[in-house]
Amino acid sequence: MKDVMGIIYTSREELSLRELTSKRSVAALPVAARYRLVDFLISSMVNSGIRNVGVLMQGNYHSLMDHLKTGKAWDLHTRNNGLFLLPVFGGDGNGAYAGILDALRANVDYLRRSQQELVLLCGGSTIFNARFDDMIQRHADSGADVTVMYTRYDPLTFDHSSSASTARSFLSVNADGWVNDIEINPNAVSYPNMFADVVIIKRTLLMHLADQALSHGQHDLMRDILQGYVRNGMMRVKGYEFKGYCRQISTIKAYYRVNMDLLDPAVRHELFGANPVYTKTRDEAPARYLPGAQVVNSLVADGCIIEGTVEDCVLFRGVRVARGAHIRGSILMQDCDIGEKVELENTILDKNVTMLSGKRLIGEKQYPIVVGKNVTL
Amino acid sequence: MIAMLLAGGQGSRLGLLTKVMAKPAVPFGGRYRIIDFPLSNCTNSGIDTVGVLTQYQPLELNSYIGSGQPWDLDLSGGGVFVLPPYVSGSEGRWYSGTANAIYQNMSFIEQYDPEYVLILSGDHIYKMDYSLMLDAHIRKNADITIAVRPVPWKNASSFGIMNADEDGRIFEFEEKPKEPKSNLASMGVYIFTWSMLKKYLTEDNANPESDNDFGKNIIPAMLKDGRRLYAYAFEDYWKDVGTIASLWEAHMDLLKQPPEFNLNDHRWPIYARTPVMPPHYVGPEAKVNNCLITEGCEIYGEARGSVLFAGVTIEKGALVEDSVIMPGCRVRAGAVIRRAIVAEQSVISRDCVVGASEGGIALIGQQTTLPEGYVVRPGEQVSGDTLKEDA
Repeated sequence: MKDVMGIIYTSREELSLRELTSKRSVAALPVAARYRLVDFLISSMVNSGIRNVGVLMQGNYHSLMDHLKTGKAWDLHTRNNGLFLLPVFGGDGNGAYAGILDALRANVDYLRRSQQELVLLCGGSTIFNARFDDMIQRHADSGADVTVMYTRYDPLTFDHSSSASTARSFLSVNADGWVNDIEINPNAVSYPNMFADVVIIKRTLLMHLADQALSHGQHDLMRDILQGYVRNGMMRVKGYEFKGYCRQISTIKAYYRVNMDLLDPAVRHELFGANPVYTKTRDEAPARYLPGAQVVNSLVADGCIIEGTVEDCVLFRGVRVARGAHIRGSILMQDCDIGEKVELENTILDKNVTMLSGKRLIGEKQYPIVVGKNVTL
Repeated sequence: MIAMLLAGGQGSRLGLLTKVMAKPAVPFGGRYRIIDFPLSNCTNSGIDTVGVLTQYQPLELNSYIGSGQPWDLDLSGGGVFVLPPYVSGSEGRWYSGTANAIYQNMSFIEQYDPEYVLILSGDHIYKMDYSLMLDAHIRKNADITIAVRPVPWKNASSFGIMNADEDGRIFEFEEKPKEPKSNLASMGVYIFTWSMLKKYLTEDNANPESDNDFGKNIIPAMLKDGRRLYAYAFEDYWKDVGTIASLWEAHMDLLKQPPEFNLNDHRWPIYARTPVMPPHYVGPEAKVNNCLITEGCEIYGEARGSVLFAGVTIEKGALVEDSVIMPGCRVRAGAVIRRAIVAEQSVISRDCVVGASEGGIALIGQQTTLPEGYVVRPGEQVSGDTLKEDA
């Protein structure tokens, strides 16, 4: 895949993810006990042979930058190509872009200098572990101008609660795989195909579109460009169905759901089985289960020290659960410290939360309680 | 100061474990290998140049060390270097002893023109700040400083024993004395003033009678010449893991309450090259008690008092107790493992019984698949080859 470059567009803080994104972008959101959302995207690109990856950053990008650093964890710390961190430049003066086209236009020099023929453009809030090889091959074979990846969603388990700032698009795809309509944030969804926020497009065409759009006051690739061109037939857009596990994380409920899904071996296999997911390593000792610990149906990272009872949980690195504590259906991020006899149910604790002895927090599966970073209760 | 790490030993007392890899490459503590301890000690002590002398079965070790990145030793002005024996001109030979290994790499050391050289061995588990030892070496204006550790008097006759005066100056060295006068055992950690080491290595090499060994030749020669030899006492945890029993014991030390050796020490992290694996999963009916468990494990059965390395699967209905299960092993339903070490990538098939709650430590060699219902007695060692002989 020497001829494909990757670009990840990370959105601003996402209001519907409440405290979790007040100090980080969605792409930097910790998931699955030791990863950040962006790890899955970059790993998918690297596993597909992509060697040039640009990350468009805005808003609170400090956490993301700290995580990605030189790209060493993904073998992207190379002399040629490698990882390019692209912080907001221009924008609206508040450290944010009006849309993805603004971000691309601001980084047109990076696009111009890159040598690759095609760009694989990913949004920063979708989780999947994909190999793009097949999609890229089909894009070339089909003669399409643009290929978009989608996933068929199950209306029964689909989270209909919408989110203000993340657009969700649904595609109508005909029998030959061509996209003939795009719906954006509909109340009633007409098509079973949800756009997975992955687009393949020729690099020079993308530069041209970004320039044209900006000069016409347009900001969004789906709404302002592809939707219109698909409907008037001026652009040939091919759909590519991704058959593996794929979810957009735009609400607390979706975030909670994805982490809980990982307790299912089938989902774990889809996200970790086929291709490795790389992340920044933290030199932690193995998890310690002390005498008296009772842990069932949980995902546990290194560095945890567990003496209490843990059921149906996701524990990130360095979490401590003291004797007599009882934790159910919860997500505990890095370095949380749970005191004796604490009771937690359906909660999400951000990094470094301390729960003093005897505290109780009981949330609902449909509405888990979120506790922000560094809070002591 | 630069460090030279002697990693060429065969470690034959580890039996099947060192059949395909050198002793320093043997896995330890769930996510480490033995060599991670001296290498991490170097990094944490601020030593940025380390030569690793390899000889026996070096491939696993070479690929493990790689660029040295996990230990922050991928540097342009130093870093970690694997130094196997080599041929120069018509000369070239295997390392004939510990001192000879350093002698043959004198030109490597010269490149860095160090004032002091730290000599380490790759078969102990400990956390030590070598910079404090160097301070002591400089303070005493010593020619060589030898790290020593008090051992129980009853075991003293199986170590190299240093007899030192109140100031720490060594006046006598006895290799495995019958009637020890002191219980200070050499840890195999030396700091030499480089000019002095160079002189003694050159003289030792010219002596055809010599075994070219630090303990047998270099140190006695320096004592004889009245050089300044000082002992540096180290009181913390230090464990030789040269035998199956001591390797097993060292793992059990990690599980004690509180642990005798703490791996969760953020001021002195132990670095390791780790496989890319997701966090571990403990299943709905699993029972896990007093264990160390790391990435990639899937536990559906029962584990007690054990250390499970990366990617170990314990199926429902299997029991692992007081054991060490190395990377990638699978323990199938109905199997019972007690007081055993199971080396990498082995499969303990259904209803096998390995070891017992008393008796010697059972050992299963690398990539061994035990047939269903197979019984391995306490103290027994089984590998793919021994299974073939049986059949």
